[in-house]
Amino acid sequence: MDAAAVATRMEEAFGDRVSTVVRSPKRLVASCAPADLPEVARWLRAALPGSRLATSTGIDLRDGVGLFHHVAINGSPLVITLKVLLPKPEPHAPTLARETRAAEWIEREIHDLLGVTFDGHPDARRLVKAESMAETFPLRRDFDPAEFKERIGERPEF
Amino acid sequence: MSDQSSRRVVEIGPFHPLLEEPVGFSLTVEGERVVAIDARMDYIHKGLERLAQERTYDMVPIVLERICGICSVTHSVCFCNAVEDLLGVTIPPRAAYIRTIIGELERLHSHLLWVGLAGHFIGYNTVFMWAWKYREPVCDAFEMLTGHRQNSALPMVGGVRRDLPVEYFPAIRKILDQVEGEVERLTAAVLDDPVLAARLKGVGVLTPEAALDFGVVGPTARASGLDTDVRRDEPYAAYAELDWKVVTQPAGDVFAKAVVRLLEIFESIKILRQCLDRFPAGEINLGTLHVPPGEGIGRYEAPRGEDVHYVRSNGTNMPERLKVRAPSYVNIPSFKASCLGAPMADVMITLAACDPCYSCTERAITLVDSAGAPWLAAPKLLEASRRKTFELARALGRRPDLDIDRADGSGR
Repeated sequence: MDAAAVATRMEEAFGDRVSTVVRSPKRLVASCAPADLPEVARWLRAALPGSRLATSTGIDLRDGVGLFHHVAINGSPLVITLKVLLPKPEPHAPTLARETRAAEWIEREIHDLLGVTFDGHPDARRLVKAESMAETFPLRRDFDPAEFKERIGERPEF
Repeated sequence: MSDQSSRRVVEIGPFHPLLEEPVGFSLTVEGERVVAIDARMDYIHKGLERLAQERTYDMVPIVLERICGICSVTHSVCFCNAVEDLLGVTIPPRAAYIRTIIGELERLHSHLLWVGLAGHFIGYNTVFMWAWKYREPVCDAFEMLTGHRQNSALPMVGGVRRDLPVEYFPAIRKILDQVEGEVERLTAAVLDDPVLAARLKGVGVLTPEAALDFGVVGPTARASGLDTDVRRDEPYAAYAELDWKVVTQPAGDVFAKAVVRLLEIFESIKILRQCLDRFPAGEINLGTLHVPPGEGIGRYEAPRGEDVHYVRSNGTNMPERLKVRAPSYVNIPSFKASCLGAPMADVMITLAACDPCYSCTERAITLVDSAGAPWLAAPKLLEASRRKTFELARALGRRPDLDIDRADGSGR
């Protein structure tokens, strides 16, 4: 199934709740509201055999934090990017960890780096960030490495 | 054995001389059985994604080569795939073949490295010595072609930076012939060995359903019967033109993972021979490319599985966002499915079976429960793994390491 066919089926299933852009025969971008995320993810998993969450990207944008779930399909070149925009200052999204365990780690990572809260995540501990960074989110645009270094790096506490 | 007082937490890692990266595992055990497993990953988060976002498209592949000490080609070519997906360009055929050659040489030495480590973990040090000995000429071939045993600095957006020295191709063919013969001997010895079969079959089974749920990739997925390989699913470089096959095994245990990797070595040699034979003439890159605003996703079949890069451009000469997902990132959590309920002696080899850029157990500490039960000392996990192999060997009436005479073909 190529990108256009999946786009048609998604529009049939979700109507105007999902908008799709076919970037190429093997790349599809679908956008939805954060609340619809688990439902769309469940649908993708059921409709496309062999589909799995390859990874997710978090990105700090002007209007909020973008959360992009990349869904790959075993045996197919198609990669579907499921996009939601989470409003700042306190971005939060429903977790996909109940739909697929592949989401567990990447959601923890996005929380570490961008401060996105995943509602209902079963195990939302720190994963990749150093303990010293606590509530600092290094991939946010307002993160200032020089300021951070001065705050903790230059004066180590013993 | 299910009462809480018999529970202990065994810490594996995070540092050991064999480790490529520090990673820490906490095993909760009841007696011999593992009841919970957790991993800690925060030791070497280097911020490479952010670093790459402050480098130009020309510099980023060089930075990305440093992500992994083994998969250096992987990340730089994957990034190029992502940017080329954004641009919608096709690289020149000669560049595609060069990328294929360095990528397959990397797969060869990476798989041999894993075979050696796997042997080490179960007390088969003959396998360890052999596999690492056979790996050396492959690294030499990489050095002859690129000037370095690991980091080639070849891939760039739109092709490769330098040409390969074709005058070395006859020497590379000779190395391939030599390695193929040696690995054939090793494979026959490993697959025929009854102790290894008894030790590894049925150990650390990852079912196809769990494999898909965790989204595992590469040999870990293929050993669970999932027919997935980016080289075939979404051919990049020159793979679409070459004759090779995807190796899958249905069992999902450690033995199946070993078989997949050993057989993939021969597929890699087959691909390399075809590339050397058909090496096309022509340009090696598209020159300097302007990257317009947009986004691209690149995929690459690393030795450990599918690597994914997401690149977003805002029209400047640096990526606005680069997301890197290495294959071990999805393979490691699958331990939660494959290790649970396993005896302690099997944990080492099950953890190692995903080839997770990590290894061993020497620096383990134990939290003792309040009853003050004896300490479970650090190197015991590795020792337990080896002892189980010895006991199996004794039960089968065999020597507890490879039968070298037989492997030579001169015994019996």
